Amino acid sequence: MPGNPASVAVLWRLSRHARRLLTLGLAGIFIATVSRRPEFAGAAAPALLLLAAGRGSRPAEISVAARASTRRAFEGEAVALTVTADGPGVGAEYGVRWTLHPGRGMNPVGSPSADGPAAKLAAAPERWGRRELGSLEVVLRDRWRLTEGHARVNLPRLDCYPHPAQLDTQVVLTRLPNRLGEHAARTWGDGTEFSGVREYVPGDRQRSINWPASTRRGRLQVNMFAAERSQDVVLLADATSDVGEPGSSALDLALRGAAAAARAYLGKRDRVGVITYQWGGAGWLAPGLGKRQLYKIIDTMLASDTGWARGAAFRRLPRAALPPGSLVIVFSPLLDQRFVEALRDMRERGFTIFVVDVLTADPPVRPRVVDRLARRVWRMEQQAIRFSLRELGIPLVHWDGVAPLDLPLAPYTRRPLVPAGHRR
Amino acid sequence: MKRAIRTPVSLTPVAATLLGAAAAAWCAVPVIGKGWAGVALFAVIGCVIGSGVRLAVAWIPLSDDTYLLPGPIRAWLTFLRVVRLPPWEEGAAVAALALEALHSARPWHTVVLGAVLTAYLLTVHLADSGAPASTLSPQVPVLAAGACLLALGAGAGMLPAIAPGPGSALLRVVAAVAVIVAAGLVLPHISTRRR
Repeated sequence: MPGNPASVAVLWRLSRHARRLLTLGLAGIFIATVSRRPEFAGAAAPALLLLAAGRGSRPAEISVAARASTRRAFEGEAVALTVTADGPGVGAEYGVRWTLHPGRGMNPVGSPSADGPAAKLAAAPERWGRRELGSLEVVLRDRWRLTEGHARVNLPRLDCYPHPAQLDTQVVLTRLPNRLGEHAARTWGDGTEFSGVREYVPGDRQRSINWPASTRRGRLQVNMFAAERSQDVVLLADATSDVGEPGSSALDLALRGAAAAARAYLGKRDRVGVITYQWGGAGWLAPGLGKRQLYKIIDTMLASDTGWARGAAFRRLPRAALPPGSLVIVFSPLLDQRFVEALRDMRERGFTIFVVDVLTADPPVRPRVVDRLARRVWRMEQQAIRFSLRELGIPLVHWDGVAPLDLPLAPYTRRPLVPAGHRR
Repeated sequence: MKRAIRTPVSLTPVAATLLGAAAAAWCAVPVIGKGWAGVALFAVIGCVIGSGVRLAVAWIPLSDDTYLLPGPIRAWLTFLRVVRLPPWEEGAAVAALALEALHSARPWHTVVLGAVLTAYLLTVHLADSGAPASTLSPQVPVLAAGACLLALGAGAGMLPAIAPGPGSALLRVVAAVAVIVAAGLVLPHISTRRR
């Protein structure tokens, strides 16, 4: 069903075809008058008759309804637009032609034009952010195409979400809070994952007796299973530096990675929250459960698209956004020294931090010695930052945005991550 | 059973250009090689060629964002944009009528030129809109009335003046225009009643 119809004014004017006929007619009459030769008036007659016959009453305004298939879409996902026009003679006497003028950052899918009183058009956002879908030009044409009525309708806004990277595995902590979930904990419980065998004690269920082990040991043995728990995950997206080509910049990768992590952890029934770190401070969302939380997280991250707001300096991440014992996954190019200090501060407060480095751009290569030296110093600084984080016990992996996020995380998803201050 | 008139859309620009060339040739003979006639002939030929080029490249879409494109492609897009700007067909029609006026009076020759020019403009319209020729079928009665007026104009041109002098010739022109205006006023009512 189309959206609410809106009444739009139609601006009528002669078509190009009518202007040509009018030129021929007027030129013929003018030459006939000047040269006093009536055959030129005869030559002008067909054009003038066509123009005269095409006259008629035209609607001053029509009703146009335009509805997008969704208000939220991921990068590259096509958004269908259903448009209908209604009014006196629309469709019967007046043909309708729709032309989509997509907004900035939107690409038309297929032909941007369609004919008929009801039509379907499509557009796809090329990059995340809050986008204007654009505007719709409606052209009404009479049967003989002598007059054209023009109207323009502004289309609604679209929230374009970053396309989540591929992530099917999760980094899991060794110590999980006592809350039902889907991660196998190191303690015994009523899960489904086998964790060992122990001697039978009164009260154990008979169905858990391991008969082969009981036969070998001569005493009743029962199977033990790992408890299944959930964890709190806080995604920290660094929006202070956006370097690299648009579409694969550090901020693009950070948001795509964070969206992928949010989807993967929420799919495992973990509580997931988000913190976006930017110059003006930090936007945050407390951890929560469910699919709605995924959209809330991405909405919070989209707020980082507000540009450079050089306001108060960031001091400390909010406590309400960081539950004790939570796993903090950081997506950052690690270019801002204050952000690195904030990570150190969090580590000292006992949070388990996992850093995904999304820096894919280098300073430009220039032949001058000073430039090469500056490039080398910059690289050494970057290596020093990463070294210092590893020295603090913060795992750090690099993700290029092309490969699945599972690949760099693989060494840490095969075994649980030891929380801060719990060395084995 | 009513058969729709169908013309391949790709051939319509060729047909329009051929009609334009025919109009140019028709109004040019016999060739007057001096004065404004040469200018008018040059204008007709130039406008018909320009119109043909415009119709030939009309299907190529134009991109608004040409800033980062290479030089040759930008030049090509600029050419496409420029060739679409001038009103080639209007220029061809006006120049052809002017060239015809520079010849001595030949009423039947002039009305044939009017018919060819009308057909030229209608074909250009079909080529522009991509519509089949059957879209013109509702206009056939009006075009038939126009043909009658063409013949009437030729006849008026061939009638000898009652009295010598410019007033008598002007009266014939006014009479021809009055017939056209009367037909133009009546036609909308007839077409409304037919619907």
